Amino acid sequence: MAELTAFGYHPGDSVLHRLDPRFKLVCLIATSLTVLDSGMAALGLWSAACAILLVKTGVSMPRLLRELRYFGVLILFVFVARAFSAGGDPLVRFWGIGPSRQGMMEGALVGWRLGLVVLLGLSLMATTRSWQVKAAVESLLRPVPFIPHKRAATMIGLLFRFIPQILSAARETADAQKARGIGNRRNPVFRLVKLAVPLLRKTFLDADRLAAAMEARCYTEDRSTPPLSAAAGDWSFLAAVCALSAVAWVLSRL
Amino acid sequence: MTVYAALMAALIAAGAYIAVPVGPVPIVLQNMFVLLAGLLLGWRWGPAAVAVYLLAGVCGLPVFAGGTGGIGRLAGPTGGYLLGYLPAAAAVGWISQRAENRTFLDVAGLIVGTAIVYLCGVPWLKMVTGMSLSKSLAVGMVPFLLGDGLKIVAAAAIAKAIRPVIRKDSGAAATHEYSRS
Amino acid sequence: MNILEADRLSHRFPDGSMGIHEIGLTLRKGSFTVLAGPNGSGKTTFLRHLNGLLMPTSGEVRIKGVPVREDPRRARRLVGMVFQDADSQIVGETVYDDAAFGPENLKLDRREIHRRVLAALDAVGMSGLAGQRPHLLSGGEKRRLAIAGILAMGSEVVILDEPFSNLDYPGVRQVLGAILDLHSRGRTILLSTHDLEKTIAHADRLLLMEKGRIVADGRPGAVLGQTERYGVRRPCAVRWGRAVESWLN
Repeated sequence: MAELTAFGYHPGDSVLHRLDPRFKLVCLIATSLTVLDSGMAALGLWSAACAILLVKTGVSMPRLLRELRYFGVLILFVFVARAFSAGGDPLVRFWGIGPSRQGMMEGALVGWRLGLVVLLGLSLMATTRSWQVKAAVESLLRPVPFIPHKRAATMIGLLFRFIPQILSAARETADAQKARGIGNRRNPVFRLVKLAVPLLRKTFLDADRLAAAMEARCYTEDRSTPPLSAAAGDWSFLAAVCALSAVAWVLSRL
Repeated sequence: MTVYAALMAALIAAGAYIAVPVGPVPIVLQNMFVLLAGLLLGWRWGPAAVAVYLLAGVCGLPVFAGGTGGIGRLAGPTGGYLLGYLPAAAAVGWISQRAENRTFLDVAGLIVGTAIVYLCGVPWLKMVTGMSLSKSLAVGMVPFLLGDGLKIVAAAAIAKAIRPVIRKDSGAAATHEYSRS
Repeated sequence: MNILEADRLSHRFPDGSMGIHEIGLTLRKGSFTVLAGPNGSGKTTFLRHLNGLLMPTSGEVRIKGVPVREDPRRARRLVGMVFQDADSQIVGETVYDDAAFGPENLKLDRREIHRRVLAALDAVGMSGLAGQRPHLLSGGEKRRLAIAGILAMGSEVVILDEPFSNLDYPGVRQVLGAILDLHSRGRTILLSTHDLEKTIAHADRLLLMEKGRIVADGRPGAVLGQTERYGVRRPCAVRWGRAVESWLN
């Protein structure tokens, strides 16, 4: 358990750490929307802003990149798919199809957008404690009817806690099986079952123990967590994000 | 059950990052966990787990396939699949609960659930991208069918193995496990 | 004065097997009791009844005279529990948050929570680690954090389920020190183990469990002779006819 994934909380005292979690959530929702609609110039702007904030959080970059390697494969896949399918004049031809300039540009654009959205999400997860997320979700959902906001918020908070735990358990299981030569088994169903059953069993038992430990400490959904308070700094951060969004919007439409 | 549902939601989210390398293409576990949520938690808590997962995604957490998140994703071309997870988990849960631990019911439920995902996903894809129906099917369904078949078989086997671990009265399972160890 | 009383406690699992059978136990305030037995003898099941995590099939547990069934929350506040698995009982993202979890559930106000958390971390010697991520702590530190979480709730009885499992020698000494410190401040201690060596020098009472029943109960000196009949190894020193020494010396 000592080895942690990049998905967990990293204690620190950076701008992002101190920001009111509600503002972080709102900003994240807003930026992930605008990023998916941005052009190259705007993406550059976003990436620069994101990179500065991420470096300030103190999350180790090499580990972050290693964590995201599967995701890198996916981006590559998207890139290749776009490059080949977007039409236009192919640069090189194999068997009648080939990557086109437009396709490559488009693929790079889409890949960049996706990558940035992931980084934005990760920077939230790295700088926000699960009770903060819970409190933020609760306060943001309160005006929405028909949603049990307290329970939903509790579950989101738990989800936050479980994700790193599941990922590290998955890695442990996969390593144990590699050590016993699962690489030699070709049957995909066999491998799926053999990975998922121990993983699920372990995580469900862990969840059970966690539930017992929480219950033993009088857990209720109605707890006295520190109040969220929006300071001037939070509003100015929000304003900065809005301004950046506006600039990005204009840049994307030039 | 709240904890189990949150756990299942976390598994679905983590499923975006856990892949079994089979041949050249890794099989991602995400949609299998959606179906398992229905199988293991039933028709009420299964969709609840999916809903929590979607809510987390809407908030922008990187939990959707390929590690993205955001409302944009839900409204985008693949949003239909994501929304389809909800009725799919409910259907899987409802069908498999018709009787205790019947493998053929599990499999039937899984097939129906998978069909529902495509039923929501493919028309949505067609609508958003303006592709023809046959092209939508060719892009958004046919390439995945083989993988889905494998996942259905796997999910049925997994559910059989995991069900005894999950008890409706939470807390008791761990105790029982200790008492036996 | 008896702080905890269990009366003819039985628990049957849903599959029909018996977990524990007709257990009776009273704990005096301020006592230090060790509950020993091999794995599978029902120690964990029994302990989980004492704060209402499990409810008995028959029988009753009373904390300071009030049945657990009537007010499980009160029971959980008064009877704190340290679990066997060090990692899955951590609920906070930092050491401070984890210790604050209990008091927050009790809906205390922030100032009181802050005061209690600092006092509890100080009591287990972890004040300097308040901002750390708990998963990066050593095994002994994790256990001590769990104890701090209970202290912050203001528990009067502290139950420790196999607190030394997976600990190295320094870890054992740290945790043992923290437990003895609690005891010297008037807390009632009930500790389960299958390995008497580490604790028996400090206990004033020893219980032996086998197959869901308590089979021996008395002062350690009187009970130690029969432990091996019930699957618990007698401490080395006793085998050689000497007194057991504390692990802290």
